[in-house]
Formats: sequence, structure tokens, C-alpha cells
Amino acid sequence: MADSKIIKSKYFFEEDFTEELAEVSANKYADWNKKELKVVGKPVSRVDGYDKVSGSAVFTFDVILPNMAHAKTLRCPHPHAKIKRINTKKAEKIPGVLGILTYENAPKISWYGKSFLFDPHLRYEGDEVAFVAAENERIAEQALKLIEVDYEILPFVTDAAEAMKKDAPKLYDDGNIRGGKPSVYERGDIDKGFEEASAVAEQTYKTQVEIHNPTEPHCSVVNWDGDYLTIWDSTQGVFSVRDRVADVLKLPASRVRVIKKYMGGAFGAKLEAGKYTVMAALLARKIGRPVRIALDRREMNLSVGNRPDSVQKLKGGATKDGRLTALYQYSYGAAGAHPAGAGCSWALRTMYLCPNVKTEEYTVYINAGRARPFRAPGHVQGFFALEALIDELAEKIGMDPLEFRIKNHTDRDQVFDAPYTSKLLLDAYRVAAEAIGWKNRPQPAGSDAGPLKRGIGMSSQIWWGGGGPPAYATLKLNRDGSVRIIAGSQDIGTGTYTILAQVASEVLEIPMEKVEVLLGDTAVAPYCGSSGGSTTAPSVSPAVRDAAEQMKAKLLSGAAAHLNVSESQLVYRNGVIHTKGKNKKSMTIREIARKMGERVLVTTGKREANPDGYAINSFGVQFAEVEVDTETGKVSVKKIVAAYDIGRVLNPKTLENQIHGGIIQGLGFALFEERIIDRNTGKVLTTNLHDYKLPTVKDTPQIDIRIVSKGDSKISNTGVKGVGEPAMIPTPAAIGNAVYNAIGKRIKSLPITPDKVLTALQS
Amino acid sequence: MKKKSVSSSLSRRQFLKGFGSGVAGSVALNKIASALPLQKTLEKAANDANRTPLNLSVNGKTYRLSVEPNRTLAEVIREDLQLTGTKVVCNHGECGACTVLLDGEAVYSCHILALDAEGKSVTTIEGLLGGEELHPLQKAFVKKDGIQCGFCTPGQIMAAQALLLKNPRPAKEDVLEGMSGNLCRCGAYPKIIESVLEAAKTD
Amino acid sequence: MRYFDYIQPENIKQASESAGRDWRKALLYAGGTDLLGLIKNEVESPAALINLKAIPGLNGIEYSEREGLTIGALVKLSQLSAHEVVREKYSVLEQALKETASPQLRNMGTIGGNLCQRPRCWYFRGDFHCLRKGGDICYAVDGENKYHCVIGGGPCFIVHPSDPAVALLTLDAGVTIASAKGTKRVALKDFFVLPEDDIYRENILQPGEIVTHIHVPPVSEKTVSGYIKFRERGAWDFAVVSVAATLRINGDTIIDGKAAFGGVAPKPWQEEKINQKLKGLSVKPGNFESLSAEVLKEAEPLNQNAFKLPLVRNLLKRLLVQLTAS
Repeated sequence: MADSKIIKSKYFFEEDFTEELAEVSANKYADWNKKELKVVGKPVSRVDGYDKVSGSAVFTFDVILPNMAHAKTLRCPHPHAKIKRINTKKAEKIPGVLGILTYENAPKISWYGKSFLFDPHLRYEGDEVAFVAAENERIAEQALKLIEVDYEILPFVTDAAEAMKKDAPKLYDDGNIRGGKPSVYERGDIDKGFEEASAVAEQTYKTQVEIHNPTEPHCSVVNWDGDYLTIWDSTQGVFSVRDRVADVLKLPASRVRVIKKYMGGAFGAKLEAGKYTVMAALLARKIGRPVRIALDRREMNLSVGNRPDSVQKLKGGATKDGRLTALYQYSYGAAGAHPAGAGCSWALRTMYLCPNVKTEEYTVYINAGRARPFRAPGHVQGFFALEALIDELAEKIGMDPLEFRIKNHTDRDQVFDAPYTSKLLLDAYRVAAEAIGWKNRPQPAGSDAGPLKRGIGMSSQIWWGGGGPPAYATLKLNRDGSVRIIAGSQDIGTGTYTILAQVASEVLEIPMEKVEVLLGDTAVAPYCGSSGGSTTAPSVSPAVRDAAEQMKAKLLSGAAAHLNVSESQLVYRNGVIHTKGKNKKSMTIREIARKMGERVLVTTGKREANPDGYAINSFGVQFAEVEVDTETGKVSVKKIVAAYDIGRVLNPKTLENQIHGGIIQGLGFALFEERIIDRNTGKVLTTNLHDYKLPTVKDTPQIDIRIVSKGDSKISNTGVKGVGEPAMIPTPAAIGNAVYNAIGKRIKSLPITPDKVLTALQS
Repeated sequence: MKKKSVSSSLSRRQFLKGFGSGVAGSVALNKIASALPLQKTLEKAANDANRTPLNLSVNGKTYRLSVEPNRTLAEVIREDLQLTGTKVVCNHGECGACTVLLDGEAVYSCHILALDAEGKSVTTIEGLLGGEELHPLQKAFVKKDGIQCGFCTPGQIMAAQALLLKNPRPAKEDVLEGMSGNLCRCGAYPKIIESVLEAAKTD
Repeated sequence: MRYFDYIQPENIKQASESAGRDWRKALLYAGGTDLLGLIKNEVESPAALINLKAIPGLNGIEYSEREGLTIGALVKLSQLSAHEVVREKYSVLEQALKETASPQLRNMGTIGGNLCQRPRCWYFRGDFHCLRKGGDICYAVDGENKYHCVIGGGPCFIVHPSDPAVALLTLDAGVTIASAKGTKRVALKDFFVLPEDDIYRENILQPGEIVTHIHVPPVSEKTVSGYIKFRERGAWDFAVVSVAATLRINGDTIIDGKAAFGGVAPKPWQEEKINQKLKGLSVKPGNFESLSAEVLKEAEPLNQNAFKLPLVRNLLKRLLVQLTAS
């Protein structure tokens, strides 16, 4: 027991592969048999439900410290400018203003590679100019207005296509294309592939900029005790924030503690330390008081991330009998003003069997807020385009779109040339197609009688989400037999607290009430990665199982010692250890724990290594049924059927909820949401929740979820794949294809708004 | 079509230029609610004498406060009373996270002045609890998992409470209408709907 | 929000006098759903708010066969839509009220405030010194103008955001305006103004003038009315366009009728020509089709909003079909 080794661990996280040394568990445990499980896989209610429904959950936004000051940020009103002169004197004189930071008095801290924490070169509307702390937020806000800034206004560019032109205003000396060239991927021979094709489809698809808009704004509360800094942060990654803050403030990591108990949403926008956190820390130190900084909704829409837009020129070729021969993608997307990923070609590279593939992608700087990973970065955009192209190709060769997809199914990852640990996509297709009534969809497209036309469309999905090491969890046994799990992961609303408790409860066979989970505290918890990339459950749940299994072994050992028998004579059942055979002797966990006095037992579980030579991916499909009002152009999504291979389901209740959420976010992206920038001034127009349109409860479709997988024992001891991102990936594409099926016209840009539909219908 | 509107917009712009220069100096000043000097309002704000007394009844308890007129009910609830269950998300009456009951009706506390609650009874999410015991509606949200991140949840529950006070047996359509003033970015709507229907069943 | 004084007048006269003659001095404050947003966005920065809620007598709904409905300006939207007479006789108003904003905002916002609300144009509300705010350019003309007006615009291209106003136009409603000097009654159609008449305000109110009551004439037995609001998402959105109609029908003929349109113009819009043609029109889908095609003939859409024309025409046709179906 407790075997471990250190390996080089590599897995995909959000936009790229992470590679780091990790200590992994070498312990092997029996596969869980779904039928025998008592807690795992059951619709257990959220363990943090009470806190969240009672109002007692303290989010970072709610942290109140004695003598706390409040901060606000002055942001640049222009898309591109330089500070010529800045004068804070008037603002400083306002009663209640405690301190102001600008590039003139703040340390020069490198940020975003080529920029600084305070950079007098302002590259987007919303770039940070000054940071004010005051007795309350209202005073800080008014003080901002008395800071006099003399801006040199520079030419701007807010459109990626414009920014790629030679004479475009430049954000950086070396040009607006990140890395100076496209990112290229190639396999096979694309020209040969198109020669073999009997049908070729070529089309340009566009997706818009989407803003995360989590309900809890980005916020931090910082407090210094001498040289020890405590940060309450609304973050998806406490360790990521700790490391960044410690680095830039030149503090030992041991002197920075980051805490996050509850967080009001993020969706990828809170994966790293924000400038505001470091600014708050700097100013808090200067004024000798704790500082709270919470962004307002306008700042949320300007400055803390977005899903980059995309222009995707796709070309695909297929043979008459439905074999894909070539796929080509030329695309670009706007990173915003600072380095970020805007690629979206993984869909085309990996989804379907195709020997000849080439992708060329440009990531472009523009004078707008920086992109951040957003729930399945690249995939949501990429699938919208790919799945439309696949449908167009299917139509060209006269094949059922589902049959065409089945024909091009692959059991191997073609980029890394490795088999998948599991892939049950064909099952998912079958189950979902039947549930939606695929056979009864209007044929040909647009043939339903109006004015309300019904249509059905589909999209496949692939994502990584197998997670991997390093991820650790500590388990502490209390003297009454209850336990506490401590892990450096975070519950971002997905139910992590609950599923981890379920795993420990399952292994130790103790009631859920006896398991407490502490997450999101760098001072006490062992490391786990940030909660993103659909990696939390697949990375952390095996570490908890490992810790619990080790604990069980220790308890057996303890019982053996107390009962004077060998461990092999003992059986562990329902939290009781007893001897085999007649004259049973037994001990409860509680009794063992009490015998050990106040010395608690501690184990540390580790995520095991991912299997060598395999690709780990989740798969799924969504079918959308829509109704298009041809007199108004309005698209209503009536029903979504979602079928998934996501390994083992730990909790069907929270799983369903997460899939609902992904679908509804996907629906928002497909139909409503869009960051709009005024073309003439470069300023963002959609800075509130009226102009930036999130879906409402009334936009909720009927959702039917089918899980076709049981548990993938090749991956880990819990056999879980993540579901957060897979839930959103196929929705916009399925809706787009359904709209085509309904009206016989393809809307090639998102969102599919009534004006576009009406215009298409009239053409 | 496009050509026409371009030319028409040009003619409008010319019209506009002629228009603007004539009036900006004379009429505009008293027609536009433009800002008074900021310094002046700041001085006023800093003067405690400019606070107004307020008797605020929240969750059955009356607080004697003295507040600046420009403070919202949500600010006073969260800052002065430290009842942080009420969340502020948009601060603009556009999301519903700050929903409280005012004399039994749902309102956005971020978008009314604290002074407007004088003489009225305010109920916040904390007011639904009986001691540490959850209200049946709160229990329904746990049971049916009408929650993800939990940040919009207090507002959702207060909107549901207002709905159920008026209509204890709502049909699904009534629930959709009653909950339509509360956004959930996590997209937990299906389970929020179920939670409200569950509460209506058990209440 | 910036600091402002909070004035509690006891009567209309005091309120009017407090408001003075300058919009900068003090603004009338009732439900606040619009005004607080304007203050937060610094579109308005008044030195004081005058709390009309302190004034008695503005909160009632009365009905008589002769006078019809008299609605106090401070009546909440939710209160009005729940009123028995409104539900029985004024469907168009009931529907428009129920389609407005969200349940919470309808509990907060008043009918008077709804009629007097300011435009939702994102330039006007945003960080732009636009024409309506005293600047010298309308940013929408060559900017992002999908939601802007298709008719009646210039030099500013807002649309009026009210739903009830559109409904009330078809009911021949009027308002009472009071000030320190006395009261006057104005037809609702004369209450709103176009930018060419006043680019800074959306109605005829002068500082110190207060809408105290809304009057809706009685409707005859054979009247049917309805409202269709078209918004992009399922709830809680301002109208992209909206259509209201009130028709008096005898057998297969519309004896008299009025239609009005929201989301198309800087004020709630109606066209005399259309109302004339409704008179005596026989109930036939073909007639509705050709009538609807006549709507907004004079429209000059901007670059991004030509779609509003087929939209509004289709919706009028749909509404007329619905209203005459039984």
C-alpha cells in the first residue's frame, strides 16, 4: 500500500497540453461495479446545498474584514492610447480616499509578456490606468473621476481581419499576428485528398465574441499580516493565483495563502491571478489595511476575458460512398490586446476519420479585452463550422448526415496515432437519434409547412477531459470515525464537494454526513490543478479514492492489532471490521478511532498515471429540435437530446445539472449572446446584462440526457471523464444544423438572430 | 436598399450639423440633466448632516439607520446589516440576484433606494430561515438541485417565494413567468423550475 | 451613484416648485427603475430627486362607463395589469403591461414612469457624448444601429422603449399634466415628440411638469384588442418591434380600428393612413396582407435594421388575424 512514483505527466488542459512532474499512486484497486455501489452514482443532494440556499455561503464577494478598505479601478475610455500625463492630486484630497496606484508610483511588474501591471501604453478600452482605495466603494468610484489623465489617442483596430492587414494600427512593434505566423497542422496529402473527392464543399463560417459574465464578479479581498499575505479570491485555481502573486511580489509561496470556498461562476475566466488582486495587495500593504476589490458588470464585460471570435474558411471532400478524403481549415480569431489562444481547429483534426488534413490558424491582436479560455475553448467555435460543413457534404453526396458521420467514425486518435481508452459514440448516436425522432425530420430541408417550421439537426462532440496527475487529496480520520477530505481543488458550482464526499463515503462505507470536504485553501491542502478543462472530477476523485482505500487499510491494520488477529482474517463491511467465521469479533471505525485517541490518522491519495499509449477523450452527440418562425425570424429551441460517453457518472443529479447548463450556455451562444464593438469608436456597446443578452428561464428547451458509458477503468480507479465542456460543445452546431433543416437556408454566422434569419429567408 | 440608407444617413448628418451649432449654447444647458460640479456633490456626500434617518424593517427586525439618499437597498442590506445572502451582480435591475421581498412583492434591491423601504417590510433570503432550519422552498432547491454555483440562488429563491405567496399552486407556465426576472449564468433553469414546482407541491 | 438630495414634497405644487426650471436641479422620482439606471450610467446627474411617492392621490385606478379608466401615474405596472377592468376590457393594455420588463420591475415601475422613460440606445446610455446628451453627433447613424429606428429619426435615431404607450395609443388615451401653475390634459399622441422637434427629450414635459393621471376612454362591447411584442430572447427584453391594435368589429367588418407600433420610431408610432384603412375593412386574410404591406411606407432604414420592416408588417398581419379569428 501507499506505493507511489514520480513521472512526467502530460495531459490536455483547456487550450494546450500541460506537462509537469507528478507523484502518482501505484496502487491498484478493483474496478467499481456499478451495481454494487451504494453512494457513488446515486443522485445525492449537494453537500453545500444548505449554505447556498440559506444565504450563509460566504463567497469572496461577501468577505468582510475588520477595517477593510474598498478599491476601484480607473480604466482607459479609449481603445488605444498612451498616458501622457496623469495627476491624482485632486482625487487624493477627497475625504475617505486612502491611496492611489498608477504606473508612476507602482512597481514595474511584468504582465502579459510584453506589458506591465500598470502600462502607460493602453491597448484596449478598459485597460488599467489607476487603482484607488477608499473608505467605501462609492468614494473610490467618485475619486476615479477626479484623476486627470491626458491621453495621447492612438489609431485602433478592433476587427481581426483588419488587424491582419499590413497597414493596420499595431498593438506591438512586431505586428498584430501572434508569433508572426499561423499555427499549422498537417497530415497526409491535402491536394491528393481533394483529387480523390467526388464532392467538395467550401464555406466560410463565423462565430462572435462571447463574454463569460459569471454572476459573481472577479473579486479579491487581501490582507497582510506583516509579510504574510492572505487572499480570498474568486478563482478556479487557488494554486495558480498563489504562484503568480508570490512570483510577482517576490514572496515565498509559503507566505501567500489563497482561499476560495464558494465562487459564483467563472467558465474559464478565473483561471489565473488577475491584475486587480496584485494591485489590491500592493495598495493594502501601502495603506496598512485589508482591501476588497470587486469588478462591476461593465468591467466584467470589458476586461476579464471572452471567447475569441472566429472566421473559419473550411473545405472538405468526400467520396460518393461517404468517405472523407480531405479537410482543410484556414481560420483566424482575435486574442484581444494581449496574448491568448484563438485557435479552433481541434474539432476538424480529431472528430472524423480523415487521412488528409491541413489547418492554418492565426491568432490576432486587436484593441479589445483579452480572450480567456471559455468552456471548451476553440471547440465550440470549431464544431459550429465543422458540423455545418459535414452536413453540407452529406447533402452533396445525398447521404443521411448521421450515416455520413457513422461512416467516418474512428476508434483511433489520428493526431497522436493512438487508440482511445474508450469510445462509445456509436451507441450515443443510436440512442439519441431514436429519442429525437431523427427519421421524422423534415426532408428535404425547409419542407415543413410554415409559418412555424420545425427542424432537427445534430452535432458530434469530442473533448479531452480525462484529467491526470498531479492531484492529491488528504484524508483525516477524526476520533469519532468521521473524516475530512482536504484537497487543493475547487468546487466551481459543479458539485466537487459532493462527488468527493461520495467517493470517500463509498470506500469507507460511512454515511455522507460523516464526510466533510475542504477545498480551495493553499495553506492546508495538498496540490490539485485549477478547476478547468473538465479535469476536476477525473483528476481529483481517484486521489480521494486512493486516500480512502489507504485509510481503510490502516483501519484494518488497527483492528487487527486491537483484536489480535491477522489482517487476512478481517472483513470490512458498512464501516465495521469483523473477523471471518464463527465467534465473530468486530470493531466500528469509531471504536478504532477512539482507541487511537486524539492522534488522527492521515492518508494522502494521489491520482494515478494515465495509461501509456492511449488517447483519453470524452464523446457525445446532441440533437436539437427547433422551430423557426418564418414571419419573424425567431428561432425557438424546443428540445435537445444529449447522449454522452463520459466514463462513470459519480452523481446523476449534479451531472444532469451540469449538462443542462452547458446546453443553455450553448443555446445563448447560438442565438443571443454577442459582444458588439462600435466600429467607429472602438468602444464596447454591450457592457450590461440588457445589451449583452444571456438566455432566460423562458428560453429553456426540453432536455433529454442519455449516458451510454459506465466507467473507463483504463483511465483511473474511478473511471471518470469530465463533462463540463462536452455539455456545451455540440449545442450551437446542432442548433445551426436544425435551423438549416427547418428553413433550407444556412445561417453561417452566430448568433442566429431574427434579422439574419429574415434576411436569409428573403434572399 | 443599402445605398439608399447610406445617402439618407448623410443627409441626416448634414441636417444634424446645422442643427447642433445653433442650439448647443442656448437651449441645451437647461434641457440636459448634465452634471453639477463633482466636487460639490462630494462635499455633500461627506457631510454626515446630509444623511437621512431611516427605519428599516428587515426580516421582522427594525433597524434605526442614517443613510445617504444615494444608497441602494442592497448596499444597506449588505454593508450596514451585513446580510450578505443578497447578491449584487449587475447592479442595474437586469439580473435578479438581489431580489428581496418588499411588503411581500419581489423587487430588485440593487435598483431601489434604501429610503424607499421606509415603512415597508423587507424580507431577504436570511429571513426565510427559521433559526437554522430551512424553509420548505429552500429545502426544495436542495432536493431538486436548483443550484449550481449558488450566487444567483438567493435571488431565485426570493423570486420563487414571491410567486408562491401569490400563487401557491402555479402551473409550469406560471413558474416560467414568475422566474423570468432572474438570470442564472450556470443555466440551472430546468432544475430551478423543478425546485419551484416541488415546493408548490410540498408547501 | 453620485450624491443627491432627496426631496419629499407633500403635494404636486411643492413637487413642481422643487423641480424648478432646470433639468439639472432635480428630477422626478417614482419607481426609479429607469431613473436610477440613468443616474448610475451618469446620463443624468441631478442635484436632487423629488420623491413623488410621498404625494397622495396618484395611486388609484378608477373606472366609469362614461369616463373609462383613470389611472394614477404612480400605479405599478403589476397592479394595473391585475386590475379587473383592464383584464376584461383593455386586453391590449394588459398584454403590453405583462410583456414589459420582468416581474420584479413590474412591481417597482409605475405607469407614469413607463411613459416618461428615456431611450435604451446604447450610445445614449453608454460612455458616448451623443446628440441627445448635448454632443454633436448621433453615433448610431453610421454605427451599430440594428435596434434603432426606421422611421421618424433624424438627427437622433432612438426608438421609444415603452410597451404600454404603444397599447395606449390604440385606445386613444390621454394624460393629465400638472405643474405649480395648474393642470392640462393632452392626448397621448401629442405627448411624445420626435427628435426633429426636440432632440433632448422624448415628450413635451417641461421641468416642473408632472404626469399625474392617464385616461383611457371606455371601449364598446364589440371591441377586441391585442399586443404582440417581438423580442430576441424569451423574456425580459425591450421590443425589437411591437404591434398593438384595437378594433371594433361588427360581423365580418372592422367598423373602426387603430394600430400602433413600437420599436420602429423615436416615439410610439401610428399611421393615420393605416387607421383610416382599417375603418370598414372586411375581415379577410388577404385584406390584412395588403394593409400590412402599407405600413411604414415612408421608412428609411439604417444599415442594419431593414429587417424591422417585414417583421412589423408580418406581426400586424398576425395580430389582425388573431383578433378577428373568433
